Amino acid sequence: MTGLPKKVQLPKSVLDMKFMKKTKERIEKEIENTQDHDSLYANIITHEMRSASGNFISEPSFIFCEPMIEGRLSFKGMNPEIERLMELENAKNEKPSGEMDKDVSDEVLARKMEAFNKRKRPQDSPKYVTIGNKRKK
Amino acid sequence: MKVAVGEVVLPGDQCEEISLVGEKSKVILGPGLRKEVDGITITKAGTLKKRSPNTYWVDNYQKRYIPSRGENVIGVVVQKAGDIFRVDVGGSCSASLSYLSFEGATKKNRPKVNIGDVVYAKMLVASKDMEPELVCVDSHGKKGRLGVLEEGFVFKCSLNLVRKILNPECPLLNSLKNEWPFELAAGLNGRIWIKAKTMRETIAVGNAILGCEYLNTDEIKSMCTNIASILAGHVS
Repeated sequence: MTGLPKKVQLPKSVLDMKFMKKTKERIEKEIENTQDHDSLYANIITHEMRSASGNFISEPSFIFCEPMIEGRLSFKGMNPEIERLMELENAKNEKPSGEMDKDVSDEVLARKMEAFNKRKRPQDSPKYVTIGNKRKK
Repeated sequence: MKVAVGEVVLPGDQCEEISLVGEKSKVILGPGLRKEVDGITITKAGTLKKRSPNTYWVDNYQKRYIPSRGENVIGVVVQKAGDIFRVDVGGSCSASLSYLSFEGATKKNRPKVNIGDVVYAKMLVASKDMEPELVCVDSHGKKGRLGVLEEGFVFKCSLNLVRKILNPECPLLNSLKNEWPFELAAGLNGRIWIKAKTMRETIAVGNAILGCEYLNTDEIKSMCTNIASILAGHVS
């Protein structure tokens, strides 16, 4: 019963009870199996074989390589059941981007920042960091 | 021969680029690539493609379907054998579909599936030594989009074409979806099932799909406009 420290085990006193006989046998068999496994093939399986595939994962299907939409579609009310599913999926896909909508676009921000820096930076000493309009000097 | 991403590759070619990346990080080798002792070897003729981060595959022209796990396919029920249906999916042997793998099916309540029915199913087991196995439910026991496809029209095409029209970038479905009502199921085994209100509309959808095999984005858009105007009766 030793050698498997991580697994939660029943105490020995409980396992010795009469009604736990079957469980005790099962646990003993399990431990025997797992221990035998390594020793049985130890001389055949080399370390090289274990790490032969390295960082490479083989994938026989295109679905994990190319971007693809679901292959079952319905348009203009031909099959309302499928269209409901399509709507649900679209709503799910759009949600995260909806939350992250920008109030100020990148270009506007870049232009404002440029103007701001031009105005503020020259007389700033590097010791002070300006945040917004607050300037300590 | 040494090849790089984006080039035309042939079986036996080697790609050093992938092996170098593989030394540092995890790499996914898609169809057409194999890890050998001395590097990455190409096993199919096509173009070598990459998708970041670190997914490589060979995009080849192919009509023969090779089952692989997780793909949605269209099959025809060819035999009822006790507990299972035999389904022809176009692979080297027929796939099996248990009658219990339908939504709400029990031993007493069998699903109504007959020989000759067309089913849209997911590959559950696909191994090179065993018969593939299909299911018509997801892991929650819901049917979702899978199941028997009633009526409609099935046609075969190359495996590339199915991937092309299912690509989110492809304008075909976006151009057609506002024109007339239709339904479509595309199996990655190179079979497409379509259904529309009239025969003319069904043929129009089928022709639009088959027509876009060798067209680029702009050509597909103009073809769709063309088909839509013919169907609407503006041009005869």
